[in-house]
Amino acid sequence: MLKVENLNKTFHTGAGDVHAVQNVTFSAADGEVVAIIGASGSGKSTLLSLLGLLDAPDRGSIDINGVQLANLDSAGRTKYRSTQVGFVFQQFNLIPNLTAKENVMLALEFARWPKEDRGQRAEEMLAMVGLDAGKADRRPAKLSGGEQQRVAIARAFAAEPQLILADEPTGSLDKSTGQKIVALLREAATKQKATVLVVTHDEKIAQQADRRLEIEDGVLKEIA
Amino acid sequence: MRSVGVVVILAVAIALSISMLIARDAVSTKINTVRASTGTTITVSPKGFFGFQGGGTALTTTQINGLLSLPNVTAVQESLSEQLKSTQTSLISPTPAGQLGQQFGSSAGSSGGSSTSGSSSFTFTIPIRVIGTNSPGTAVVGGANGGGTEKLTSGKAFSPTSTSDVAVIGNTLATKNKLKVGSTFTAWNTKITVVGVFSAGSTFTDSNVLMPLATVQKLASASKQVTSATVVVNNINNVASVDRAVTKRLGSAADVTSTQATVQSELAPLNSVKTISTYTLIGSVIGAAIILLLSMLMIVRERRREVGVLKALGATNRSILTQFIAESTTFTVLGAVVGFVAGIAISSPITSALVSASSGSTPSSVGGFVRGSGGGPSFTGGGSGFTPPSGSFSRSGGGLRFGGINNTLTQIHTSAGWSTLAFAFIAALIIAALGSSVAAATIVRIRPAEVLRSE
Repeated sequence: MLKVENLNKTFHTGAGDVHAVQNVTFSAADGEVVAIIGASGSGKSTLLSLLGLLDAPDRGSIDINGVQLANLDSAGRTKYRSTQVGFVFQQFNLIPNLTAKENVMLALEFARWPKEDRGQRAEEMLAMVGLDAGKADRRPAKLSGGEQQRVAIARAFAAEPQLILADEPTGSLDKSTGQKIVALLREAATKQKATVLVVTHDEKIAQQADRRLEIEDGVLKEIA
Repeated sequence: MRSVGVVVILAVAIALSISMLIARDAVSTKINTVRASTGTTITVSPKGFFGFQGGGTALTTTQINGLLSLPNVTAVQESLSEQLKSTQTSLISPTPAGQLGQQFGSSAGSSGGSSTSGSSSFTFTIPIRVIGTNSPGTAVVGGANGGGTEKLTSGKAFSPTSTSDVAVIGNTLATKNKLKVGSTFTAWNTKITVVGVFSAGSTFTDSNVLMPLATVQKLASASKQVTSATVVVNNINNVASVDRAVTKRLGSAADVTSTQATVQSELAPLNSVKTISTYTLIGSVIGAAIILLLSMLMIVRERRREVGVLKALGATNRSILTQFIAESTTFTVLGAVVGFVAGIAISSPITSALVSASSGSTPSSVGGFVRGSGGGPSFTGGGSGFTPPSGSFSRSGGGLRFGGINNTLTQIHTSAGWSTLAFAFIAALIIAALGSSVAAATIVRIRPAEVLRSE
C-alpha cells in the first residue's frame, strides 16, 4: 500500500522558484496500476523521482506498507531503492556491456539476493516477460526496442519490489508493442502484488490502468 | 577501440618515463664512477709554471702551509723541482736526448740541459731532474713524482721532515751510474747518499732523483720555495669548494687545478642528459596521469546516464567507484606492462642519442686534453716541456689526462633492475590514483534524478 501526503518539491532557479510538486496526496493499493498523465514540465518526472527516492521532498511523507521513506538519509534511500523500488524508463536504460540476463542479475546484486539464486531468478523473470530464452545472453544492442523494454521490466520486478515506477515506458515503442508492455506491467503487478505507477501522456495507454491521475503545474488530481 | 587507444597512449608515456629513468640512472652511475676515479686532490703550481718550460714565481712554504687551515683539507704535499746540469753533479743522465730532445733543447737552450755548440752541430744533454718533497711515502708510490706506479725496489724512503743529504733514485739512473743503496753521488758540490731505489717502469721517471724538500731548498739556494703542491681533500664532494677556497687564498700567485673541476666540465654533457631525463621522466609520468585522467573523465561523462541508472537501481557510490577504478587500474597495468618492456627496449638507443647529442653540442669535451701539471713536477721529457704520450685515462701527478675521454664518457651501459620495476609499479599506482580521482569525484556528484529527468 502506497500512501503519499502533502508532498512538495520546489526548485530554486535563477529565474525564480519552480514548484514542481505541490501538496500531492494520493494512495495506491498493492497490485494496482495507476496512470499519471501530464504535459511536459507538469511535474510528473519530479513526482516519480520523489516516489523513487531519487530525490528528497521539501515537505510531505511517503509511506509504503507502513514504512516512512521521505526522511531517510542518502544511504537509507539507496538501500530501500535497491529492494523496494523498481524503475522502467522510456529509453530502457539497460547497461550496454551486459547481457539481458546480466542486466536482471545486476538488480538482484544491488538487492543483495543470494549469489547462487540470481541466475535462476533472472531466467524466471525473463521468461515471465516473454523474452525468448535464446536471447537472454544477448546484449541490449542485439535486442529490439520491445525486447529491451521487456528486459527492463524483468529487471524492475526481479527483486520483488513493492513499488514500480514506469516513466513513459511505451514512449519509444510502436503502439502495438506499447500496449503489450502495459499489459505485461499489469500482469506482473498482479502476480507480485506490487503497486505500479505509469507516467504517460498517451491517453490510450492511461486507459489501460486501474486508475488515472492528472498532474498539472505540480498539482495532482484524480480523473473520474 | 578507445580502450586500446588509452592503453597505447599510456604505454608510450610509461615507456618514455622508464627509458628516461634508465638513462638517468646510467648517466648518474657514469658520473659517479668518473668522479670517484678522479680522486680528491687539487694541484697548486706557480702561475704560468709548466714543468721546466714554464715561467712564474715559485710559491713559498708559508703560502702552501697556510692551505692546511682551510676547511676539509686533510694534507698538503709540497715539492720543489730542480735540474742538475752535468756541471752540477757527478750523475750521468741515462736518457739520450734523441731527435726530440735535440729539437726542444736547441729551441729552449736555457731550459736546463747542458749543451755544446760547434760550427755545424748542437749537442744537448738531458739534465738530471731532482724533486724535493715532504711526502716521500706518497711520492715514491705515486705522489710528488707523478708517475703513480713507482715502487721501491731496494732501500727505504726518507723522512718527510728530513734535512739529510739523502736521495731515492730511479733504477735507470742507478744502473747508468752503477749506484745502489749506500752509494753516494755529488750534487751542488754536496755528497748525497742513496737510501733507496725505485722503479716506475718509465725510462724518464726512472731517471729522476727524489730528495727531502728541505735539502733541495738548501742545496739549490731555493729557500722556502715550492714549485708544486697537492692539496688532499677529505671528501670528493668538497673538492669544488676547496678548489675555490685555494684559488681565493692564493689569488694570482698560483694556478689551481682540480681534476674534479676539470672532469666536471667534461661531465657537463652528462649532467645535461641527467637533467633532461629527470624532467622528461617527471613530465611523462604527469602526462600519463593526465591522459588517464582525461580519458576516465571522458568515459564517466559518456556513461553519466549509466551511472545514474546504476544509482537508481540501488548501486552505492562505492560500488560504482570500484568499477571505474578497476577500469582505470586495468588500463594502467596494461599500459605499464607494455610500457615497461618497450621502455627497456628503447632505453639504450635513447640514452646513446641523448648523450651523443649533448656531447656534440659541448665544445669543451672535444679533444679531451686536460692540463697535466699535477701534484708533483710535471712530466717534461726531452729536457723542455715534452708531454709524454698518455693513455686514454692516465694519471699525471695527481692530475688526469683524458686523451679520448669523450669516447669513454659516451660509452654508457644501460640496465634495468628491481628499482626500475619498483618505479614502474609506483608510477602506475600514482597514474591510476591521479587518473581515477577526478573521475571518482564526478561519479559521486552525479545525481540519478537529474540524469533520468533529462530523458
